[in-house]
Amino acid sequence: MKKLTLLFLLLSFTVFPQDIKDNVNQALKNCFGNNIQFEIEKVRIDKSIKNDIEKTVGQKFFSDEIYFYKINDNKSIVGYALLDNVYGKSLPITFIVMFDLNGKIICSDIIKYREPYGGAVQSKEWTSQFKGKDAHSEFIVGKDISSISGATISVNSVTKGIKKLTLLIKWLMK
Amino acid sequence: MKNLFLFLVTIFLSKSLFAQEFDFFEPKATIGGYGELHYNNEKIGNAASKSIWDFHRFVLFFGYSWSEKWSFKSEVELEHNFVKNGQGELELEQAYVNYHHSDLFGFNVGIILPSIGLINEFHEPPLFFGTERPVYHNLIIPTTWFGSGASIYGNYNGFDYRLTLFETLNSDKFSLSQGIRPGRMKGYKTDASRFLYSVKLDYLNFPGLKVGGSFSFNNAKGDSTNIDVTISEFHAKYDANNIIAVFEFGNINYNSGELKASRGYYFDLGYNVASIFDLSTKIIPFIRYSDINTAAETLSGGDNEKLYHFTEWMIGLNIKPIEQVVFKIDYSEQTRKLDDRKSKFINFGVGYMF
Repeated sequence: MKKLTLLFLLLSFTVFPQDIKDNVNQALKNCFGNNIQFEIEKVRIDKSIKNDIEKTVGQKFFSDEIYFYKINDNKSIVGYALLDNVYGKSLPITFIVMFDLNGKIICSDIIKYREPYGGAVQSKEWTSQFKGKDAHSEFIVGKDISSISGATISVNSVTKGIKKLTLLIKWLMK
Repeated sequence: MKNLFLFLVTIFLSKSLFAQEFDFFEPKATIGGYGELHYNNEKIGNAASKSIWDFHRFVLFFGYSWSEKWSFKSEVELEHNFVKNGQGELELEQAYVNYHHSDLFGFNVGIILPSIGLINEFHEPPLFFGTERPVYHNLIIPTTWFGSGASIYGNYNGFDYRLTLFETLNSDKFSLSQGIRPGRMKGYKTDASRFLYSVKLDYLNFPGLKVGGSFSFNNAKGDSTNIDVTISEFHAKYDANNIIAVFEFGNINYNSGELKASRGYYFDLGYNVASIFDLSTKIIPFIRYSDINTAAETLSGGDNEKLYHFTEWMIGLNIKPIEQVVFKIDYSEQTRKLDDRKSKFINFGVGYMF
């Protein structure tokens, strides 16, 4: 029976939709290399920090909680990642931002896009623009972030979403 | 018995835990909308100038997502603020069920917008230069062009495709002065015996650039005419590094009747000068040049091909305090090819989207 239970656990990993989990794992490996391990923590964002960031960026957080990843290479922590959502026109866009130990973005990826329009924000060409940015960067669409014709709402939404995380990571690293 | 209980608990837990983890979707209704108030002043040739206020468009978007894959989206529009005796319009511009399977494939069916040109599907005021939509999008590719239909869409490696099966145009209504524009049926009891077939392909993997085109065919029919129409158009837009540049070219061929071809193009070039002063408000002066001829080729030729041919220069300013709000002002001069008649337009307005 124990074997059966274990088998079922294993199956449930493969049978149930795990696309977000798989995509996150792949994004982390693409960014930090294959020889990494990570811990996931669902963090409740401090209320006053949350308010400050929302005011600064002009966008609300998707929820009070966020997925915080600590990435290590078996010896020490090599970076962090945050998984969050923003709303596009009507559906959530799930994205991940990966940071170095100074809170500077090293990679960002759209993990799941659900809208019929604006899917071009998923392209590596667009998401790679955030590399090197941190809490002090501008994040202005049309200036340091290029727009995508036909994806205006998603572009603005994700850009603000990523900016929020650069501010949040400073607090989480403390 | 204990083992069976453990097994059932495991099934329950694994189902709920693994399915719910990272499940960010919730069924949800969404509202949105856009609108634009215009001041239009025109002076056609030697006629006296006239000016009007026009709350040109008031549009409400309503959508509902049942699941990540199935959703409904709609747009209702009130044009010119008032409907009476054929003036003003109340329109159901979009109302469709959408199935989004994956990036590669999805479809929608209902009242839809054919994917022809840059503006038809993305027509909110903050998204284009000029108080009014470009004249190209009035006379060559008429916007907003909506009607009954279905489309399949997807994205692969930066290529965005959409195949559309759309209601027919009414060929009786085609005109030398407006091309296919009056032939749109707007989803109103359209002849179901034929379709407009359209294919669009865009490339989006160069940051800031969208480049693509579409080709459409329709054996259009009215009560007294039956005309094969082909619509080919090319479009490109660049929006990055404070530069916005647009180019569109469209050609429509008709296989019978006086009208043989409609043709036109325009380009825009704008620069966000506020970036020099590090302002967050976008201040974008722009220029536009258009060349439009709804009767570029006609059966009888001669002056018929010059009467509706004009070029237009426009200079203007778009000011965006935030991305969703725009103040616009522009001045343009049109020159008719037939007799060099000049028409002058001054427009300003405010637009929003949410």
